[in-house]
Amino acid sequence: MTPELVSVTIDGMTVQVPKGTSIIEAAKQAGVLVPHYCYHPSLPSPAVCRMCLVEVEKAPKLMPACVTTVAEGQVVHTDSEQARKARTGVLEFLLINHPLDCPICDQAGECELQDYVFQEGQAATRYGEFAKRYNPVEDFGPDVLYVANRCILCTRCVRFMEDVAGAPVLNVSERGDRAYIGIDQDQLLDHPWAGNVVDLCPVGSLISKDFLHKARAWDLDKTASVCTGCSQGCNVMLDTRDNVVVRVRPRPNLDVNRHFICDHGRMHYRWMNRGDRIEAPLVREGGRHLATDWEPALVRLAQLAARGGNTVILASGSASFESLAQLRALVGKATLTTGVQLLLADDEQPLPGVPGLALRHERAANGTGARLLGYGEDWNAAVKAASGANLVLLLDVTLTDAEAALVSGAGAVVVLGTTLAQALPAAELVLPVTNVAEESGTFINRDQRVQRYRQARTAPGMARPAWWIAAGAAGTDIGTAAEAFAAGAAMVPALAGLTYADLGLNGRLAGPPSRRADGVPA
Amino acid sequence: MAIGVKVMKRPAKDVSYVRATLKGMAITFKKMFEPKVTMQYPEEKSAPESERGAWSISPRWRGTHRMLTDEQGRSKCVACGLCPQICPANCIKLVPGEDEEGHRYPLIYEIDEFRCVFCGYCQEVCPEEAIHVGVHYENAEYSRDRFVYDLERLSSQTHPVSTLWDPTDPKGE
Repeated sequence: MTPELVSVTIDGMTVQVPKGTSIIEAAKQAGVLVPHYCYHPSLPSPAVCRMCLVEVEKAPKLMPACVTTVAEGQVVHTDSEQARKARTGVLEFLLINHPLDCPICDQAGECELQDYVFQEGQAATRYGEFAKRYNPVEDFGPDVLYVANRCILCTRCVRFMEDVAGAPVLNVSERGDRAYIGIDQDQLLDHPWAGNVVDLCPVGSLISKDFLHKARAWDLDKTASVCTGCSQGCNVMLDTRDNVVVRVRPRPNLDVNRHFICDHGRMHYRWMNRGDRIEAPLVREGGRHLATDWEPALVRLAQLAARGGNTVILASGSASFESLAQLRALVGKATLTTGVQLLLADDEQPLPGVPGLALRHERAANGTGARLLGYGEDWNAAVKAASGANLVLLLDVTLTDAEAALVSGAGAVVVLGTTLAQALPAAELVLPVTNVAEESGTFINRDQRVQRYRQARTAPGMARPAWWIAAGAAGTDIGTAAEAFAAGAAMVPALAGLTYADLGLNGRLAGPPSRRADGVPA
Repeated sequence: MAIGVKVMKRPAKDVSYVRATLKGMAITFKKMFEPKVTMQYPEEKSAPESERGAWSISPRWRGTHRMLTDEQGRSKCVACGLCPQICPANCIKLVPGEDEEGHRYPLIYEIDEFRCVFCGYCQEVCPEEAIHVGVHYENAEYSRDRFVYDLERLSSQTHPVSTLWDPTDPKGE
């Protein structure tokens, strides 16, 4: 059923929006951003900040755009003199007590107060003779600091904890100009999804301890990526500074994670910057690993793969779909046993306010992709099979000592690894591969949504994506991740015909074309 | 074949050097009795601003940098990152950190004076009035790497700092 449409005119632009849409959302469709603080598309709107007041023709006074729904024939002026004057007034009030500490504030550069004041605030204060309110910095929990002085009381954090996280530990304490965000005396902000309040905060009031003073917002390069923390496949933005990933933030995707990521995913980035990386292909000669060039290494890999017999692939559950597909294609007709390291955890941590969003117990990003390619889930059985195999291929897996001992019993071991710890001494070949931040590829999440991630930093040394290595050894003519994906998609009926161009930034559900015609699950 | 040389036939009074020599010596003797204008650098140096004489440099001179410090001797810099951002020559390296009292401060602050174009933007943009370009011109060193000034060196400089613009005419009109 298509919803009933109403047409409204916003700043001279007439748009058709579904009935019940708020003016602020309708304005977005008309290409107008109404300045706002308390409104957030994933939270209920209380209309407390009074920033989004707009002039609606025939209405007696200014209306808050975040809670006023559109009506047929409505004419809205967001930038009329009256609306502008109201916003300037609100900004003036907010700045009475807001400290002028932008130089040391982590939010500077991505601060909505800064943006809007710069856009339409007053150049000077009229309250210079009064001392500003002062409250000390408060420690809210494992990763959150509360700088009360900077708070503009938009209550986004309070509503997130109450309505979305279902753990109402935050509140607005005191009243009037003494008001601040209070926390339950006996509690901490330690909900597994609490880190989102830092992203929700429009100013630098709630800040991340992990990111504190690490970088300025304008120093960061932002890359669209997908979280590797679990099989949920939350869309994230990797923020890099000087080729180092310094922060992970959620990237809005209404079909997967809305505007949120969990704290596990938020902190799951340090390994991307590890320094102990394999940087050149190593070939075993006379009991030692000697660095070599890619060409002889690929020839050696091709020879090993061509020997056939029992072959075992042990792959990381966070290896890209492209790499898993090409590795399978390399082994070809040999008798194949496969295992995927899925790093199962005991618990799931759901976010109650968003159905279908949780930190899943499968703590690997591409388990579904591996399953679609026919990889076996029984890791232990695959490791056992490895001990008697002719050839074992390891893709970015870290083995326990016992597992390493079993695997070393195989005829030949080829390690496609990222870190030196993964390079088994017994390996015939050790080939450096890129990690998720250093290559582009795709993951398929637990709902069979195919999602792309992009390269955020340069690969160390001679490291290459694993699909490049496998395709090179197999002599397949694949030069880009897009070609590798197309080749992989051809191996899986559910993905037939899907290309990078179809995936876009928000990914697409795998399955027959009819189901993914609009890219939205039923 | 001989080369033909054209011989100028000028009157003797033009060809004689005596007149030209006397003319030159006249200027020389005249200058001996005029006040001397040559500055005997490095024995003589430019006077400080307070006693500005004939040989003081402009208070708006933009020379090598200086980091100002507070009463406790700590640098005033809060590592806000505006100077590396505005720097057109990309010569400032800044890594922010946090001290024991939770204050933001620069862990690493380095200026490569070789790369610097002495535009003074860093001083102009600084919200804490910490980094300044100096009224200073003696920068000779024995090795090139000494021209990357670290925080300690920037803070220990004592030369006067630039005013960048004329206080009586800030817009340069």
